[in-house]
Amino acid sequence: MRIPILKLHEYLLITIQVDLDDKTALQFQEDLLEKIHNTGAKGVVIDLTSVDMIDSFIAKVLGDVVRMSNLMGAKVVLTGIQPAVAITLIDLGIMLKNVPTALDLEQGLDKLKQELGG
Amino acid sequence: MDKLIIQMFNKNRQEIFNRWMEEMESIREDHRLQNISDKAYKDTNVEFFNIIFAHLERNEYKANDELTDFAEKLFQLGWRLSYLTQGLQNFRRIILSVLFDTEKSSTKVFDMFDEIDRWIDPIINQLINESAKNWENTVSIQKVALQELSAPLIPVFENISVMPLIGTIDTERAKLIMENLLTGVIKHRSQVILIDITGVPVVDTMVAHHIIQASEAVRLVGAQCILVGIRPEIAQTIVNLGIDLGQFPTKSTLYKGMQSALEMTKRKITETE
Repeated sequence: MRIPILKLHEYLLITIQVDLDDKTALQFQEDLLEKIHNTGAKGVVIDLTSVDMIDSFIAKVLGDVVRMSNLMGAKVVLTGIQPAVAITLIDLGIMLKNVPTALDLEQGLDKLKQELGG
Repeated sequence: MDKLIIQMFNKNRQEIFNRWMEEMESIREDHRLQNISDKAYKDTNVEFFNIIFAHLERNEYKANDELTDFAEKLFQLGWRLSYLTQGLQNFRRIILSVLFDTEKSSTKVFDMFDEIDRWIDPIINQLINESAKNWENTVSIQKVALQELSAPLIPVFENISVMPLIGTIDTERAKLIMENLLTGVIKHRSQVILIDITGVPVVDTMVAHHIIQASEAVRLVGAQCILVGIRPEIAQTIVNLGIDLGQFPTKSTLYKGMQSALEMTKRKITETE
C-alpha cells in the first residue's frame, strides 16, 4: 500500500489515514524523497490526525524523513498528533527533537510559510 | 449462647452496668472526649450498654444493624473507633470477672469464657471492618475531589491557555496533568500553554521530569509551553539539582509569561482611547 502525496503550489501535503506498518512507512519515505526531488517542493506537511498508534520504528522513520527532507532543502512540519500518540512517544523516550509540529493542517501551513519566509 | 450465661447476665445486670459505667468514665480522656458534656457521654454509654445487652439476649454471633447503626452515628460525630472497641473489651472483662465470682466449677467457667470470647470477638472485628470501610470511603471521596481540583486548563485568550498547578505533584497527578493538557490543547486549539507553578511547593527532579515530559508532549501535538511562576527558591533548587530546563521558555510570573505568549501569537494589548 502506498500513501498518496499531494502537491499544492510549492508544498507537498500528506495525510496518513491508515495505521502505518513498517513496510508502508519505508515505502512512504522513498516516495516522499522522490517527490521532493521531482517537484522541487520547499515545504512538506505530514498530517497524522487519523493515526492512533505510532511505535518506535515508525517514529524513527518519521524523524529520519524529516531530517532527509531537510537535507534536500524541504522543511517538514508534523501536524495533528493525537494526545494518546504524544503520550506514547514521550513514554518511549522519543522526543522528535528539532521537528516542527502544529495543531492542524492550517496552522502547519502557516508555520511553513513563516519558516520559509523568515 | 448458653442459657446459663444469659441468666447470669440478667441477674447481674445492674452490677455489670455500674462497673462498666465506671470503667467507661475512667477511659474517657483517652478518647479525647473531654469536650463532650457529661450528660451526653453518659447517655451514649447507656445506649451503648443497652445495645450490647439486647444483642446478648438475641444470641447472635455478629454485630446486628442496631450496633452498626450506632457505630456509624458515632463515627459521623467524630468519636473514635477505640471508644467502641475498648467499651466492648471492658464489657468482656467485667462479665468475666462477674462470672468468676458466681461460678465455682472451673471447667464450666472455662466453657463460658470460651463462649463469651467467641461471641464478642466477631463483633469487635465487624466494628473495625465497618470503621475501616468508613475511612476508605472518605479517602476515596477525597481522592476524587482532589482529582477534580488537580489540573484545570483555562482558556484565557484565543490560542492561549493557562494551567495553574497548586500543591505537590506525584506521578499519578502528573499523568492527569499531561492528559488534561493534551486534550485541552486539542479542544481549545491552543498554540501557547502557560504552566503556572507558583503553587507548587517543591520542584525536585521528579516533578521537573514530569513537567518536561508534559511540555514535550504538548510540543508534539503542535503547541508550545511556557513555564511560569518560578520563585527564587525554585530557581535555586532547579539549578542546584542540575535540571536542564533550557529547551523551553520560562518566566518568573504569569504576567510576563502572558506577555511573551501574546508576542508569540503576534498580538498585543493596547489601551483604548
